[in-house]
Amino acid sequence: MKISEALKVLQSVPREGEPFEAALVCGFTPLHLETLLGARLQQRLSGRRIAVAKGLFGDTAGTLESLRGARPHAVALALEWQDLDPRLGFRAAGAWNPAAVADIVTSAARMLDRMGAAVEQIEPGVPVACCLPTLPLPPLFHTPGWQSSEACVLLEGSLNDFALRVVRRPGAALADTARLAQNSPPAARFDLKSDLASGLPYTLAHADAVAEALALLLVPPAPKKGLVTDLDDTLWHGLVGEIGPENVSWDLDSHHPVHGLYQKLLASFAEEGVLIGVASKNDAQVAARALARPDILLPPGKIYPLEVHWNPKSGSVGRILKAWNIGADSVVFVDDSPMELAEVAAAHPGIECVLFPKSDPAACLALLRRLRDWFGKPRIAGEDALRLESIRQGEAFREVESGGGAEAFLSQADATLTIDFAVSSSDARTLELVNKTNQFNLNGVRFTEGDWLRLLANPNAILAAVSYQDKFGPLGKIAVLAGHVDGDEMRVNSWVMSCRAFSRRIEHRCLQSLFDRCAAREIIFDFRPTAKNGPLQDFFESLTGGRPQGPFRLTREQFEEKRPLLYHRIVETESTSWMPSQPA
Amino acid sequence: MDAITTRLTACFQTVFPALPEDQIPSASQASVPAWDSTAAILLVNVIEDEFAIEMDFDRLADLDTFERVREYLGEQVGGGVAH
Repeated sequence: MKISEALKVLQSVPREGEPFEAALVCGFTPLHLETLLGARLQQRLSGRRIAVAKGLFGDTAGTLESLRGARPHAVALALEWQDLDPRLGFRAAGAWNPAAVADIVTSAARMLDRMGAAVEQIEPGVPVACCLPTLPLPPLFHTPGWQSSEACVLLEGSLNDFALRVVRRPGAALADTARLAQNSPPAARFDLKSDLASGLPYTLAHADAVAEALALLLVPPAPKKGLVTDLDDTLWHGLVGEIGPENVSWDLDSHHPVHGLYQKLLASFAEEGVLIGVASKNDAQVAARALARPDILLPPGKIYPLEVHWNPKSGSVGRILKAWNIGADSVVFVDDSPMELAEVAAAHPGIECVLFPKSDPAACLALLRRLRDWFGKPRIAGEDALRLESIRQGEAFREVESGGGAEAFLSQADATLTIDFAVSSSDARTLELVNKTNQFNLNGVRFTEGDWLRLLANPNAILAAVSYQDKFGPLGKIAVLAGHVDGDEMRVNSWVMSCRAFSRRIEHRCLQSLFDRCAAREIIFDFRPTAKNGPLQDFFESLTGGRPQGPFRLTREQFEEKRPLLYHRIVETESTSWMPSQPA
Repeated sequence: MDAITTRLTACFQTVFPALPEDQIPSASQASVPAWDSTAAILLVNVIEDEFAIEMDFDRLADLDTFERVREYLGEQVGGGVAH
C-alpha cells in the first residue's frame, strides 16, 4: 500500500463508526508506520473508526508499562534493536568498541526482561501483536559480517526468551519472521537516510509490510471450517479404479511424496477440528480399500462424509455442506481437475476451489501453506476435537427427525444442558463461537476481544455459555448468550449457537432458562436479519408467527404458548450479580 | 493548469484533505497549521510516489510553499512527466 492510498483509506473512515483505538508501541518515530497501520486496520475493520495512539520516542518499555490498566482495543508492538539499547541503532553516539559490546548484551537482556513483564501486565483480553526486530544489527561486533559473534547469539537468545513470554500470554501473537521476509526482503528494509533525517528507519515498503503483519495479527480472518478433497491424483497419486488400491501411492519411494504431505496436513487439520470430506468419482468399494490401507497418513475415521460415486461433484459437495451444516464460504474444495473445480464453484458461490498441482512440488508446497493460512487458528480448544463426532451425531438426529421420530428420539437422548452463567468474559472459546457462527447468530455482529470485554464490563451484564451432552457423547460448548438486565427487562445483545447443536431444542431451553433465571416478563432481542441467519429467523418465526425485521420483544406468554416439550436435564452454574430476584 | 500543477494539487489534497482546493496554490507551512514536520514527510512521500522521483533531503527545508515545491518539481521532472 502506498502512503497516498493509506491516507485515502484513513480519510474514508466512517464518522459514525464505533471507535477502535490501537496503541502503537515503538521506539522510533512511527511516521508512515502509524499511517499504514491505521489504514491496514481500517481495511480489516471497515465499519470502525480507527485511531492509532503512539508513545514516547525512544521509550518502548515505558510506553508498554504505561498501558498497564489502560484498555485500548489492541496493542501493536514494533520492536527494533535500538529499543533494547540505543547503541544497537544508528542515531546514538555511544561507543561500539569490544568493551561496550558486553555491556550492550547485558543491558539488552535487562530491557527485554522489563518489556516481557510489561507485556504480561497489559490487561487480559487486550490483544497484543508483536513484531521482533526486523532490521540488521549495526556492524559493531568484532566478527566479519558473515560470521555470528558470541554477543550476537546472546542477544538472539535474550530475544527468544522475550518472544516466548509474548506467545505464552493469552491473546498475544508474534509475527512470523520467515513470512515477513517473503513479503519484505531483509535487504530492502532499512532506510538509513530516513532514520537519520526523521527517525523512521523503515523504507516505505517495509513499513507497510510490518503494518500489514501487525494488523493481520490483531484482526485475523475467520478460519475456514471444512475441506472437501478429491481422491485420485489429489489425496494419492494414480487412478485407483485403474491401477488398484494397492498401487496408488503417496510416499517418497514411489516418487509422489507431495500426496503424502497433503495427507499429513489434512490429518493435522482433522486433529485440530477441521472437517474433512471426500468428493470423488470412483467405485466406492475400490476407494474404500485404498483408504483402508494401513500406511495411509489420513486415517479414514477422520473423514466424514465420503461421497464416492459417479454423480456430479457439485451434488456431492452440496450433500457434504448439508451434513456439516455450514456455508460454502467456510469451505475449501481441492481437486486436480479444473473442470470439476469450475462445476463446484458455479454451484456453490463462495466456496474456495483450489487446483491440486500434482506435477509441481513447489506449487504443492505453496498450496499446503495456503491451506494452513486458511485453516490456521491461534489456539486449539477442547471443543475442536469433538466437532467431527458431533457432526455424525447431528446426522443421526436429522435422519430420525425426518422419519417422524424426533419426539421419541429427543425424549430418550438423555440430554444434559449445562448453562454456565459464571463463565469468564475472557473465556477464549466463548468469543470464538460468537465470531465464527453465522446461521444461528442474532445479528452477525463480530467483536474484538476489547469490544467483548467492554460489553461485559456493564455491572448488569450477563454472559452464559451453554454446553451439551447426550448418550451419544458431548458436543462441548455450543452456545453463547450475552446481554444485560434492566429492571424487569432483559436485553439480549448477542446470541449464537453452533450449527452442530441444531435439532435438539437447545435454543428453546436457553430461552426458558433465561426467562426463569431473571424473572423477566419479556426479552428484547437486538436482532438484525443477515444473509446467513435464516435458521434463527425460522426459530423466531416459530415463536412469534412472523419474521422479525429488527430488534423485537418476546413475551413469556408468547414463548410458553409455542414452546415444544423439553427433555433436557439442566445444570446451571450460578452468577447472581445481575439477578433481580431469585429464580422462578 | 499544467500537468505538474494538477498532480501536485492532488498530492496536497491527499495530505491536507481539509484544505480548500482554491487555497492550495498559495499554501505554505506558515498558512497551513496541519503542515507540520510529520505532514512534510508524508507530503514528500506522496510526491515521490506520484512523480516517481526521489527528493533531495537537503532541499526539503526550502520546500515550504506549494509554489516552491512546484518549482522544484519543474527542475526535477520538467514539463514532460509521464502519467
